[in-house]
Amino acid sequence: MDAINRRRFLTTTAGLAGILAAGVPPARGQQREISYLCWNNFAPASDKKLAEIGPRFTKDTGIKIRIDHIAAPQQAAKYASEVQTQAGHDIVEMRMHFPWLYEPQLLDLSDLVAEMEKKYGKVVSSATEAAKVKGVWRAVPQYHAYFAPAYREDIFKKAGLKIPDTWDDLYTVGKELKKMGNPVGIPISQNYDSISTAGPVLWSFGGMEVDKDGKTVKINSSAAAQMVEWYRKMYKDCMEPEVLSWTDSSNNESLQQGKAGWIHNPVSAYIVARNMKLPTADTINHHRSLAGPAGRHETDVPRSIGIWKFSKNVEASKEWIRYLIGKKEVYDEYIMSGDAFNLPVYTNLQDHPVLKTDPKFANLKGEGVQYHIYGWPAPPSDKIQLITNSFILPNMIAKAVTGSSTKEAIAWADNEMKKIVAG
Amino acid sequence: MAIGTARVATTPYRPGLRDRLGEWLDRETILGPAFVTPALLLLVFLVAYPFVMAIYLSLSNAFIGRPSHLIGLRNFINLWQSDAFRQTFQNAFVFTGFAVAIKVVLGIWLALLLNEQLWFKRLIRGAVLLPWVIPTALSTLGWWWMFNSLYSVVNWTGIHMGLLDPPGPNWLGQKYYAMAAVVAVNVWRGLPFFAITILAGLVAIPKELYEAAHTDGAGPVARFWYVTLPLLSPVLAIVVLFSTIFTFSDFNIVFVLTHGGPINSTHLFATLARQVGLETGRLGEGAAISLYLFPVLVMVVYAQLRFVRNRAY
Repeated sequence: MDAINRRRFLTTTAGLAGILAAGVPPARGQQREISYLCWNNFAPASDKKLAEIGPRFTKDTGIKIRIDHIAAPQQAAKYASEVQTQAGHDIVEMRMHFPWLYEPQLLDLSDLVAEMEKKYGKVVSSATEAAKVKGVWRAVPQYHAYFAPAYREDIFKKAGLKIPDTWDDLYTVGKELKKMGNPVGIPISQNYDSISTAGPVLWSFGGMEVDKDGKTVKINSSAAAQMVEWYRKMYKDCMEPEVLSWTDSSNNESLQQGKAGWIHNPVSAYIVARNMKLPTADTINHHRSLAGPAGRHETDVPRSIGIWKFSKNVEASKEWIRYLIGKKEVYDEYIMSGDAFNLPVYTNLQDHPVLKTDPKFANLKGEGVQYHIYGWPAPPSDKIQLITNSFILPNMIAKAVTGSSTKEAIAWADNEMKKIVAG
Repeated sequence: MAIGTARVATTPYRPGLRDRLGEWLDRETILGPAFVTPALLLLVFLVAYPFVMAIYLSLSNAFIGRPSHLIGLRNFINLWQSDAFRQTFQNAFVFTGFAVAIKVVLGIWLALLLNEQLWFKRLIRGAVLLPWVIPTALSTLGWWWMFNSLYSVVNWTGIHMGLLDPPGPNWLGQKYYAMAAVVAVNVWRGLPFFAITILAGLVAIPKELYEAAHTDGAGPVARFWYVTLPLLSPVLAIVVLFSTIFTFSDFNIVFVLTHGGPINSTHLFATLARQVGLETGRLGEGAAISLYLFPVLVMVVYAQLRFVRNRAY
């Protein structure tokens, strides 16, 4: 080791002092290395594909990338800690309304979204509602998993049941299904799948929780009363009380294990049955989303990618998003790996080749269906999110089907929502 | 020959660094604080700082990643207007009351059994600790499967033994059953703590007292009532104190088993605080939910510690 002479000591310390004072490392020391935090995808093959794409990105751009995964339930706590400490990953995967939740901490990525839209067409409605916060894109929409009816085709054929086209049609076939021991499986519990059905039913009947101003509670309406009455008769004649205790995975399991005859869920119920070679796999199929007097509405889980404002590698992070979503062949490759669970959120890519990989995906096309995130048409502000996370909608229905009158149940929800909106 | 004093050149004694350090540490005024400092630092950084931070957050309108300011007690007042919170408040007392009471009774019973001369005593004592040792989230998943509406082993067994009518109770879908389920899992999980601690208290009771009581004609019930229970009471008070605090702040069991449902009937402070504070970003409100019972718990701790001190001296 060379001896340290006075001149070298002075040069080094002066340089170090300069770096510390400026807070910016010298160009030679700046690492082109970024970190990306995303969830453990329900389609594990997508995570494997991501692990393949990462090193290719490094090879093509010279930017190192570290990809970390986290279970969905831990995302909120992890993101909160990164924001509070202003340290952590550069890039984060955003689920649904997350861009609204972390808005002040996320970079404006409107330039990137403009590039994507130029290439792939407009972002679909739900992904726009989720990632465009007060006119600014806080994240770049990546993909979505949407809800669609999944049913036991063999039972329908055997009993000569007509594929339902409306929520009222579902009641007609649901009664027969229950008699056959294959009830309809719609959760009415404190989970997100419950909201994912309650929302579309409410919208299809013309109702809403809060108006688009985000302030006026509108749950106390005749449309909401119709929706509650629909649930009441469905619960009594088409379903079993077990739906009151269901988790997000219970409806999938019920269909896969041969009990439920009809569920409302992303395509994962079928994919898991097929991949695990369950006897029911061949008997499951999908059909077009159901309509109500006010149209055909669905919900989905749009996901997008954001960059924290505290990131010191903004340009390199943008390069990753351009590579992963903006490079058509990479984006296609990633979407294909998701097996129709992760579908594109850009209008020109809606008829994606992934929908042709399995005949059971043929009916997943969403023509004429309006996709919205929870709480629509209100913007997903923190108050609307508290209404969602407090499970007021499914609890209102649960109250009604377990003894409260429709009026009482709606009055309870109205009161709870008004307190949250006013608070 | 001149006689005089010979001057011997002496260097003053300078002890080495090690000696000086040793001498320094011999002083009580230095050694005491030196021993206490690490623990104090741990307490300050891991207990005091988060606690003060939680109090600050509960008095503010803090939201993840946004500037916040103090709003006094508004969070605490607003919370009381929420039906979900009032339900949670009630749940916390029902859950803790039933769970702790059952654990006390079963804990004493189990400890008395374990105190008997049993075959494979050590093995049994070790096995009793298993529910306490297994990570709660993992064991609760097992319970979730047992209570699951589709696969319920509990219902299957009950129906096949002729104890239940098919399809059996909807354990996690009806409020009383759901509360019974979360209490049952909490009792299963917390029982070893009670049993082993009470067993330690039982072992410490001098045998002579039982012999004297026996000589005086006391039966098993009288011996338990007049010898065992009074001498166990300090241990019981401490166990109940700890268990009350742990049970009030339980999170895993409810989060995995019911997620607070049905219709908020099993929500506890910790699960509701997570829902509001982390999932919705309202850190201030979330902290207020967590701290709502703090004054009550302080009083419980004070009363019980006072009781223990009075019994001890």
